Amino acid sequence: MSVTARDVMETRFRTLSPQTPITEAVKILEEASEERGQRVFGITVTDEKGLLVGMLSMYDILLLMRPKHIHIWGEMKDIDVDGFIDEACIRAQPILVGDIMTTDVITIAPDTHLMFILDLMIKKHIRRIPVLDTGKLVGIVYISTVFQHLMRRMNR
Amino acid sequence: MKPAERKNVLSHLKVREAMRRLTVHLPRDASLEKAARFTIKYKVNALLVTGQDLEPVGVVSKTDLMGAYYAEMPLEAPVESVMMAPPLFCRMEDSLESALESMRTGRVHRLFVLGDDSPEAVGVLANPDIVGLLYRYCHRCEKSIIRSRSAGPDKSFADRFKVAEVMTPSVQAHRRDESLTQVMEGLSAHRLGAVLITDEAGLPVGVLSKTDLIMAYKHGIPTTTRAEAVMHAPVTTCDQEDPLALAVHKMIFSDVYRLFVHRDNPQNIVGVLSLTDAARIRSGSCRACMSSRIQVESAS
Repeated sequence: MSVTARDVMETRFRTLSPQTPITEAVKILEEASEERGQRVFGITVTDEKGLLVGMLSMYDILLLMRPKHIHIWGEMKDIDVDGFIDEACIRAQPILVGDIMTTDVITIAPDTHLMFILDLMIKKHIRRIPVLDTGKLVGIVYISTVFQHLMRRMNR
Repeated sequence: MKPAERKNVLSHLKVREAMRRLTVHLPRDASLEKAARFTIKYKVNALLVTGQDLEPVGVVSKTDLMGAYYAEMPLEAPVESVMMAPPLFCRMEDSLESALESMRTGRVHRLFVLGDDSPEAVGVLANPDIVGLLYRYCHRCEKSIIRSRSAGPDKSFADRFKVAEVMTPSVQAHRRDESLTQVMEGLSAHRLGAVLITDEAGLPVGVLSKTDLIMAYKHGIPTTTRAEAVMHAPVTTCDQEDPLALAVHKMIFSDVYRLFVHRDNPQNIVGVLSLTDAARIRSGSCRACMSSRIQVESAS
């Protein structure tokens, strides 16, 4: 039996708009995790027509939180940095999803074979891939689902 | 007779000890929107533009992006239409001294570091990187006057310096009802990264930086908009009598490159203290390293 993206993709998923503030996006990531019953670290971004325009991942948000001058001040042990994290959160408030999302997104079709998906995830270091059917976003394949599927097959 | 070679701390340091690994670059047909997004996301002042084989072909800085905004260029335009070319390079084994000289003569704020075996750039070296390395070097140096001066118990050496000793004692300001176009003209004329925004009475109400302008450009805000609509507030200030350590602490917290300095009260702004000013006084400040003090302009 040929297993494709259609068999392992999640069809219930949340999306963001490029105009969504990052603070709101973080809440939506939390909600998406609760709905899925598993931690969600990345979410698709669509325009007003529902077309995929990017992805926002945990890594994008971490990049934003990283202090600009950290490479210079890393050895400043004589300086008290308590409260730094709260300040970084406040600074992130005016930023929108469209300001930091990744737009070079790798996508697959519903009939992409599981092993090809696996190969893409390993080669490109990606943990989730949007599935497009004639340009329309129809699902997301998570690396955890691919892994679980393969493990089930192994123990059959 | 051959003139004596002038030695200082930089003579022994190589580019590879101070450079940062190059993590992002853009193809020449990438949009200005993408360049603006990358400067926000990666918190960098400039991006390397590469050709088909990833060979470096130019540099697009926040200054170039601000110029595109000023000229009201569409965000879809390619970066190659505003980039500066060619980029200036150094090698990992070059001395920091020669790299600094290249930056001075080339009037640039950064050099890209070429790898040994490929035409691709592997790193970037900017003034703050050198300042950071000098700070670390000086902090560890046994001869450092900083160490001997800070021998007292619970006394941070940075407390020895006051902001007034280190700051630039002048301020460029624009009124809050001036347009973004007027502010961009001021930033460009004075080669600044940010200006103070004041009310009708000349009192400070905010700061407008190149980063704020690039965000405005990306968000489609017209250049005729008043400065107060885009500026960030409140103004992050310190007192000119504050210890330098306190000012540095504030800069770290605010993730800013500069603080505006007041005298007596926060409404009376008398100067600007940049991260580079602060780092410079803490680096190479002992007699042994005096000749290594570097002339650093604020980043573009």
